[in-house]
Amino acid sequence: MGKKKNKPLIRPWCWYCEREFEDEKVLMQHQKAKHFKCGMCPRRLNTAGGLAVHIQQVHKLEADNLPRIENALPGRDGYEVEIFGMEGIPAPDIADYKRRKEIELGLNPGSISQPQAKRVKTENRALTEDELRAQLEAHKALMGGGGDASKLPAAAADTSSTPVYGAPAQAYSVPPTPAGPTPPVPFAAPPAPYPGAPPMMPPGASPGLVPPGFPPFAPPLPPGATPPVGFPVPPFPPGAMPPFPPGPPGAMRPPFPPPGFVPPPGMPLGMGLPPPGAALPGPPGAVSPPPPPQFVPAQNPVGLSAPGVPPQLPPSVSGFGGPGVGVGGGQAGHQGQVPAPPPLTLPNPSLAQTNPEFKKPTSLKYADANFSPEEHRARHAKYYFAKGQEQGQGTESAAYAEEPRGKKRARAEDFL
Amino acid sequence: MTEYNDPSTTLTLPSPPLDSISTIRYHPTNPDLLLVSSWDATVRYYETGDIPPNSGAGRQSEQKAKFDHRAPVLACTFNEDGSRGYTGGLDTGVRELDLNTERITHLGTHSDSISSMAWSKATNNLITGSWDRTVRFWDPRTASTSSSGSAPTFQTSSYSTPERIYSLDLVGNTLVVAMASRLFHIYDIRKMDTPAQQRESSLKYMTRSLACMPDGQGYATASVEGRIAVEYFDPRPDVQEKKYAFKCHRQTIGEVDHVWPVNALAFHPVYNTFASAGSDGTVSIWDHKVKKRLRQFPKFPNPVSAIAFNCDGTKLAVAASYTWDEGEEGMKRGGLLPWLGVRKLGEEVKPKGWAGN
Repeated sequence: MGKKKNKPLIRPWCWYCEREFEDEKVLMQHQKAKHFKCGMCPRRLNTAGGLAVHIQQVHKLEADNLPRIENALPGRDGYEVEIFGMEGIPAPDIADYKRRKEIELGLNPGSISQPQAKRVKTENRALTEDELRAQLEAHKALMGGGGDASKLPAAAADTSSTPVYGAPAQAYSVPPTPAGPTPPVPFAAPPAPYPGAPPMMPPGASPGLVPPGFPPFAPPLPPGATPPVGFPVPPFPPGAMPPFPPGPPGAMRPPFPPPGFVPPPGMPLGMGLPPPGAALPGPPGAVSPPPPPQFVPAQNPVGLSAPGVPPQLPPSVSGFGGPGVGVGGGQAGHQGQVPAPPPLTLPNPSLAQTNPEFKKPTSLKYADANFSPEEHRARHAKYYFAKGQEQGQGTESAAYAEEPRGKKRARAEDFL
Repeated sequence: MTEYNDPSTTLTLPSPPLDSISTIRYHPTNPDLLLVSSWDATVRYYETGDIPPNSGAGRQSEQKAKFDHRAPVLACTFNEDGSRGYTGGLDTGVRELDLNTERITHLGTHSDSISSMAWSKATNNLITGSWDRTVRFWDPRTASTSSSGSAPTFQTSSYSTPERIYSLDLVGNTLVVAMASRLFHIYDIRKMDTPAQQRESSLKYMTRSLACMPDGQGYATASVEGRIAVEYFDPRPDVQEKKYAFKCHRQTIGEVDHVWPVNALAFHPVYNTFASAGSDGTVSIWDHKVKKRLRQFPKFPNPVSAIAFNCDGTKLAVAASYTWDEGEEGMKRGGLLPWLGVRKLGEEVKPKGWAGN
């Protein structure tokens, strides 16, 4: 596109070493000779990909052990970018090069990168790559609900979201997020992807919707806790409210007023927060001190975002936010009444395993000899499913078999 | 270098699961239908098309159905004609999915998470393995009333094993059960009362994956310590002599060997070669007869958590998603979405000089 206009100003240059050439033919010869030459035989390849395949297949080197591209600038010695002459250069590098060229040639900024001629037309022409990228980033940030999107490793950014100038169309046909019609980012907390999303509950209906398999909210309350006040007595005495538990959970509590805040009794906020210890059926009452702070951030947005339905909220939260149900939602996964998972124990300790020593220095990526990664994962609060929660086997299975398909369908359609 | 999701070789499937993918199973007769179970508490049913997403004319890949579960799903499989699917996971329930009407039937429960399952064509049974240290057989066509008299169960029998079951696979009437503590049991499913053979893994580290050879001669198993063992059923010494193990899915960086778990194995249905998937993000194709690697596919951006060949062996489905090797920390650090795609296969899965047999 822009290449023709730039021709008089910018000569073909090599992305690997930033040398300029008379024309692309010479550039390609240079790349073959300097960068795509196999170190182990006289063979010269046309592209980095060709070289990689050659080394893997002819010289049987693992894909991980490929030698870096020779004679390349730091950071440009990898195989991730497919360069062929001037094609395939990442857009930011092109822009960067142009900017430096402008300075070098003493031209006005933008005289190369944004040719004056037909500038208006460029505006009409959809969006530039940079704008697209910026928008994509903004969109990701929006959908990612915070840090998660930005944590996408560099590899992903390289391969999917960096536009490429003059590259064949396939470079674009790799969608950054292959999610099709569904929201691309899982952390987006869409309307009701899981039954656990409380705002979808019709106010009056939620208690009735609690499947028989789940214990309703009220019964596990010990006599000491007074639900109407809505504030957990043991860990947060009403007067001694301010000092919030310090530590990591505090960092992720933006929507919550600062420490001095004392919630009035009966406020939805307090209701949305299952009394720690109180809502835990069974033994964990004593075990729970650590979890409650964690649940605060998860619960508060719920309580605040649906102030209209406070009374119904807690039952629906505790009824539907069953363990493991809100798995994809990130926040929804941390529902208050999940009993702390019992620690992993060996059913037969006499069979306990120990990993043998390594002769060479070794980094074994999974070193537990007795429990699989899945067993550990199943204990994590996000996934844990308390088996004791099912009541009778009969009601449980009946509830499941009868769950109307229409309801699920409707939810799925909402989701889409 | 071609990318893992290069559209000329690979179809990226739309609407992948939102959390790690635990199992992929292909339809027994249709080469384009697959079931995928996930930690996001869903099982999804896909049909692969022949063109990349949003690229004009042709048949798009699509998600045909999604089945919500109460807890993460670890195992799934098809029945013999592919009209139904079966699932099991952390909520310990065995479910039958009618893939046409999308109706879910509850078949019964284990007493701990279900880690693995397989369909026996020979007996028309579902076989499930669980961390509750039992193998159970199910007949979805006949319900029997359980002893407590409460709910009907489709369970026909249950057999105790000495350890938690991590994986099971079967070929013909031979069932291989891989357990914690590196134990293996080999059963003849017509005589389940006692295992035909009890073995300790020839690998020194935790068993991570298992797959039976389609020719019924033996099985391959892999450990968390980047190593695969090829074993044979026949107990005669001259056959047992042929068994061997080799290293894979590892890399030497500086002085240190980095060693990743081998999360999944899958045999090619025709050529008797097999694919291995590692937490290092690679998939390799091996010819175990000549003990050679035939191909290594470009690295995936995540650990490869599940793989499966389709029924005619023309495609390999690959799931790249976090496998909890580093616990919750790794999840936070990774943050990359699960990727699910199908790679078209050519000569690379065929043994050199294959003449057919």
